[in-house]
Amino acid sequence: MSKLGEVASWIGLLAALALAGPAWAQDVPTNQQLIEQQQQRRVEQPGNNAPVWREVRSGRSGSTLVPGNEMGVLILSSGQTWRAARVPLAFWGGLLIAAAIAALALFYLIRGMITVKEPPGGRLIRRFSAADRYAHWLLAMTWVVLAVTGLVISFGRDLLLPVIGYTLFSWLAILSKNVHNFAGPILIVAVPWMFVKYVRDNGIGVEDLKWFVHIFGYFRGREYPSARFNAGEKLVFWLLLVVFTTILVVTGLILNFSNFGQTRSTMQTANLIHMTTAYLAMAIAAVHIYLGTIGMAGAYRAMKEGYVTEAWAEHHHKRWYDDVKAGKSRQKFAASGEGTASASGATRTQTS
Amino acid sequence: MARMKFLCDAERCIACNGCTTACKNEHEVPWGVNRRRVVTVNDGVQGAEKSISVACMHCSDAPCIAVCPVDCMYHTEQGVVLHDKDLCIGCGYCFYACPFGAPQFPQQGAFGLRGKMDKCTFCAGGPEPDGSQAEFEKYGRNRLAEGKLPLCAEMCSTKALLAGDGDVIANIFRERVTVRGKGSEVWGWVTAYGKPGQGQPATQGGTK
Amino acid sequence: MSIARFMATAALAGIVALGLAGCGEPPQVVVYKQGKYQGKPDQRPWENAPLTYGHAKWTQGNEQSWTDEVNTRTQAQNEYVRIVHP
Repeated sequence: MSKLGEVASWIGLLAALALAGPAWAQDVPTNQQLIEQQQQRRVEQPGNNAPVWREVRSGRSGSTLVPGNEMGVLILSSGQTWRAARVPLAFWGGLLIAAAIAALALFYLIRGMITVKEPPGGRLIRRFSAADRYAHWLLAMTWVVLAVTGLVISFGRDLLLPVIGYTLFSWLAILSKNVHNFAGPILIVAVPWMFVKYVRDNGIGVEDLKWFVHIFGYFRGREYPSARFNAGEKLVFWLLLVVFTTILVVTGLILNFSNFGQTRSTMQTANLIHMTTAYLAMAIAAVHIYLGTIGMAGAYRAMKEGYVTEAWAEHHHKRWYDDVKAGKSRQKFAASGEGTASASGATRTQTS
Repeated sequence: MARMKFLCDAERCIACNGCTTACKNEHEVPWGVNRRRVVTVNDGVQGAEKSISVACMHCSDAPCIAVCPVDCMYHTEQGVVLHDKDLCIGCGYCFYACPFGAPQFPQQGAFGLRGKMDKCTFCAGGPEPDGSQAEFEKYGRNRLAEGKLPLCAEMCSTKALLAGDGDVIANIFRERVTVRGKGSEVWGWVTAYGKPGQGQPATQGGTK
Repeated sequence: MSIARFMATAALAGIVALGLAGCGEPPQVVVYKQGKYQGKPDQRPWENAPLTYGHAKWTQGNEQSWTDEVNTRTQAQNEYVRIVHP
């Protein structure tokens, strides 16, 4: 309960700061006022330097001969706020990721892999072009590497350090930090590419809301008919890719390229946003990765080779399947022999 | 049992930057890194100008120790905050957390390439064998192991900067304040060592 | 299939156990404990022999003698001791 209250108070504090920030700033005396107060004090109460100390505590920059960013700031209080905010964030974020994985494990135990009965002689449909798949895998591989290295940096001190010791963990952390910092900017290319390739079929409509209303049917084998992407996939697209990953890229760049003179306060804020978003995104990505691999038969093959079976399409994406059958979709039935295991090597070279 | 602290007397500091220079020379600090710096508040404003020398204050509840992702920082028995450069990954978290801006990095490169963090060691070296060449190259000279005190304070021309056991330098400062009858603020001590009455010795008058 | 499923389940359970262990929220607050060494193994200052040419003298290995020496030296920063105050 106290933890909940802590989080609630942080959210409240952040909201209050965001709303009241400008108004509150006006109540703080300006430099000029503090200087005048100090000059007055010097006459009335010699030796009382309270206005100067107020100025120091406010985090305003004095002058110094030492070159460098913010070297004139004597005391910066926001570091303590940053430090305090990290503890509940990491706690709840770690709990969220662990809970997501635990829920998926439990779901897997109860439900197992979602399979579709395959009638003999079913045709294949080319669901993803080579470019679709390359865009997805560039993003996915980068993303997973970033998630794993980020988790090492974030939770390694509590989880790995007691197990593997200082020297080995430091080596791992240095590797993680550098891989994280160099892999991150790949997303500048991967995210827009992914967006361009997939945005056409990710429009949101009333059908998507209905899909969510019938979400329990999805896990019982009675799916609400969906187009090429169902509402869950669209949620992953808009929330995970467009919102979260974009936020992660922007805040990550602020932290990664610290040589543009951004202040510590900026980087503290960026770090907190980066952490929060990363934990949320990893929890959602866990569900996405689960359904794309061990959670649903045929899903991994669709993204690996590009093909799905007719029965799979009809079961999971009824409206899309109808479009493909009617020839209205951009995705077509595979030619005979195309997409089977023996021919998959040849089809991979095709681009469309 | 000594608890090492720094104390800067704003009534005395003349911003000569002798401490900055002495520190840089004594430890052969990397290019671009200044473990100690002098900040002048209200520079050039008559009656309101104060100068303060600042470096790592070796906090009791040190934020850098708390946030370091590889746990490379630690307190010695004298309360000096030291770090292990072999473990440091150069992430910059200590730099975000520190209220005094003490952690410095030899580079400010792209892709987060900062190099190993460097900061004031209270002239106490690092985890390497005391007085060894490896210790000197990474952390600078280990004056405590030679029975000496930080050079910045020992060579301060106006004795504005005091370094040593917190009780001893607080007594020196108290005597000074009694004689001159003003300027009793002990700069940065509340931030670094907590409020008076929290187990830390308080000095006469208000502390800051 | 059942073996593969069991393996996958066991792996997931392991990950979950590790993940939950990370949520213990160990206290991040470090409070300096007077006179207690909290870090990596390092030589203590008083375990060194005093420099043969130096002014500072203490008994090697005796913490109190080293502390006394340093505290005495701190008085060099006190000009009221160095210069007799009128």
